[in-house]
Amino acid sequence: MNFDDTPDEAAYREQVRRYVTEHREELARIGDGSRRDGDLTAARRSQAVMYDGGYVGVTWPKEVGGQGGTPMQQAIVDQELARAGVPMHIGIIGLGMCGPTVVHHGSDDQKQRYLSRLLRGDDIWCQLFSEPASGSDLAGLRTRAVRNDDGTWRVNGQKVWTTLAHVADYGILLTRTDADVAKHRGLTMFVVDMKAPGVTVRPLRQMSGHSEFNEVFFDDVVIQDSERLGDVNDGWRVALTTLMSERMSLGGGGTEVGMGIAPVVEHVRERIGSLPADRQALVRQDLGRAYVQTLGIRYNGYRQLSAISKGQMPGPEASAGKLAGTKAARTVADIAVRLLGDEAVYAACADGTSAFQDSQAGLPGMAIAGGTDEILRNVLGERVLGLPAEPRADKGMTFNQSLATTGGAQ
Amino acid sequence: MNFDLSDEQRALAAAARDFFTSACSPADSRRALDEGTPVAPGRARLADTGFAAITVPESAGGGGGSVLDLAVVAQEAGRVLAGPSLVSVARAAVLLADDDARLASLADGSVGYAVVDGTAPALDAATADQFLALQGDALVCGTGVVTVGAPIDPTRGLGQVELGVAVELASDARLRWERAERVAQVILAAEGLGAAERAVEIGVAYAKERQAFGRAIGSYQAVKHALVEAFVGVEQLRSLVWWAAWAADEAPEELPLAAAAVKGLSAEVLESASETLIQVHGGIGFTWEHDAHLYWRRAKVDRLLLGDEAAAYDQVARLVLAAPVPAREQEAAR
Repeated sequence: MNFDDTPDEAAYREQVRRYVTEHREELARIGDGSRRDGDLTAARRSQAVMYDGGYVGVTWPKEVGGQGGTPMQQAIVDQELARAGVPMHIGIIGLGMCGPTVVHHGSDDQKQRYLSRLLRGDDIWCQLFSEPASGSDLAGLRTRAVRNDDGTWRVNGQKVWTTLAHVADYGILLTRTDADVAKHRGLTMFVVDMKAPGVTVRPLRQMSGHSEFNEVFFDDVVIQDSERLGDVNDGWRVALTTLMSERMSLGGGGTEVGMGIAPVVEHVRERIGSLPADRQALVRQDLGRAYVQTLGIRYNGYRQLSAISKGQMPGPEASAGKLAGTKAARTVADIAVRLLGDEAVYAACADGTSAFQDSQAGLPGMAIAGGTDEILRNVLGERVLGLPAEPRADKGMTFNQSLATTGGAQ
Repeated sequence: MNFDLSDEQRALAAAARDFFTSACSPADSRRALDEGTPVAPGRARLADTGFAAITVPESAGGGGGSVLDLAVVAQEAGRVLAGPSLVSVARAAVLLADDDARLASLADGSVGYAVVDGTAPALDAATADQFLALQGDALVCGTGVVTVGAPIDPTRGLGQVELGVAVELASDARLRWERAERVAQVILAAEGLGAAERAVEIGVAYAKERQAFGRAIGSYQAVKHALVEAFVGVEQLRSLVWWAAWAADEAPEELPLAAAAVKGLSAEVLESASETLIQVHGGIGFTWEHDAHLYWRRAKVDRLLLGDEAAAYDQVARLVLAAPVPAREQEAAR
C-alpha cells in the first residue's frame, strides 16, 4: 500500500505539470466567469491550449483526435488542472458524455466532422435527455421524432435542465420514435444542430440566482437521418453508453462537491477565536465531523484511483461518492455560513463577498442534478447490494398504455 | 497510487476469517450474557494462532507484522464479535516496546495485559493479569484489583482497575503512550469496521428474503435506502481504517489526524449500522435470540472506548486548525 505515483505516472505528471505551468497565462482561472458569461473566448482558448498539448480526450482513440492514453493519465491531467486552479473545461459535457457516445455509436462521417472540434473546444455540446415529465424515469420521455417521407426526421417536444444549451453548437438528443412498444424500446438518439430552425433555448434561473441550465423547445425541427446515433429504436442502449461515460468522466474519485473544505477551515481559523468558549466547542464538533466526512470521501476516491491505476474501471459503487460528497458539502457550507455571524442572514457580506452563501444556495440542487440522492441509493441498493428492484407499475406495458394507465397527458 | 491491500494481506484476511468463524460466533456473546461464560475464542486460542501478536517483534515471539496486517485481522475478529480484543494486545505491544520478556508473555498469551486510562473502565480488564498505566510521564506495569460492572457487551471485559504493586518500565513514556493509544484507536476502528460490515450483510440478506405486502422488503426504498446509507458509511470507514493503519506503519506524522478521524467515524458507522440492522428485522430484530442486539451492544460500548466521538471530532478540528493538512500529489480533481 502506498500513495505514490508509479514511475510512469510520475513522469507523465511531471510532463503535464510543466505544460500547465508554461501555459498558465493562457488557461482560465477558477472564478473568472469564463464559463458563465456570454463571451466564451477565454474558456474555449483554455481548452484549445490543453488540446494542442495533447491533454484533452486523453483516453479517446487516436484516430478521432484523442491520445489513446489510460484513464489514469486522464485523472492525472484533471488533478494537475485542479492544482493549478483551472476550472473544468467548457466542453465538459461534450468531453464526458456526448463525445464518447459519438465515438461508440457515430458513423465515420460523424466522427470526422465532430470529434476533433469537440475536443478542441471549437464546438460546445450539450446533452438533451431530461424532460419536464421524465427526470429520474428517463425512459418515459415524450419528445417525438417522426420520420418524414424524404427519410429525414421531424422532432417536437421539450427538454429541460440542459447545461450549456444556451451556448452549445450541438447536442445529443434522445427521442421517442415508437410509442407502441415498452418505453425503453422505442427511443432513438440523434445529433442535433442547436442553431437549427425550431430550436429555442430559454435559460432557467435556479434558486441560487444563477442560470446554469436551460429548457430547450423543439418545434418541427428537421434532423437528417445521417445524424442518427445507433439504430432506430436502439436509443436506450446508446443512452446507457452516455450515462456510463458520465460515471467514468468523474473518474479519479474523491472529488469534493461544492467549494471544498480547505477554504472553510481557513475561515474557521480566522473566526473561531472571537466566539465564546462554548460556541467554539460546537464549531469544533461540526468542523471535526465534516472534516472526517471529507476524509472518508477523499480516501474512498483514492481506492477508486488505485483501481483505475491498475486498469480497472469504476463500477456502480462510484455513486457513493456523489451521495456522500453532497451530504458533506452541505455540512461544510453550513459551518461556513453560520460563522459569518450577523452577516449569515444576508446573501452577501458587507465587503461584497458571498462565496459561502452562494455555496449554501447551490447545494440543494447538487442532491438532485446528475442523479438524485434517491436514484443513487437505488443504484447502490440494487446493483451493489443486490436488493430487489422497486416494482414498476408500467412494467410490461407499451409507452402509450402506460400513459393511459398513469393518466399522463399525451 | 496503490491504496489497496496486498495479496498477502488478502490471504491473511481469508485465513483470519476461517479461524474466527470456526472459533467463535455472536452466540458466544449471548451465552456470556446469559451464563457468564468466558469470551471466545479467548486469549489462549488467539495466542496459538499468532493473530493477536502480529505486531509483536519476531525477537519476542511475535509476528513482526505491520499495524495494517493486524487491522486486517481485527476486522475479521470484529465480524463475529470475538474477544478478548486485539486492541489490548496492539496497545500493549507498543507500550512494552523494548521489554522482550514481557513482550514474549504477551505474544504467547501466558499473561493477559490490559491498559488503564485513569479511572475509565479498561478494555479486557476482567481477564487481565497485568495492567499498564501512565503515572505522570512514567509507564508502569503491575497487578490490579478489577471491579467489573454489569456488562452491556460482555465481550469487552470492561472493568475499573485499582493498581496494586507496579514497577516503572519507562520514565519518560508520554510519546510512546500517545502512539499506543492511537494504534489502539485504529485497531478498535478495524474491529468496528468488521462488525458494521457484518451487520449490513445480515440486514441485506434478511431484506432480500423477508416478504411483506407481497414482495421482499428490500425492494422498498425506505428499507433499501437505510441499508445503503449504512453501506456507504462502511465503505468510508474501510478507507479510513486502511489509511490510519498505513499511517501508523509508514507515516507517523499523519497518525494523529488519521487515528482521531477513524475513531470518530467508526463510532458513528457501527452505531448506525447496528441500529439499521435491528430496524430492518422488525419484531425479530429486538429479541434476545437474534444476533442484532449483540452488534448493537458492541456499538454502544465501543463508541465510548478510547474517547467518544465528540472527543475525536474535537481532536480532528484542533489538528486541522493548528496546521494545514498537506495535499497529496494526487489530490483529487475539483
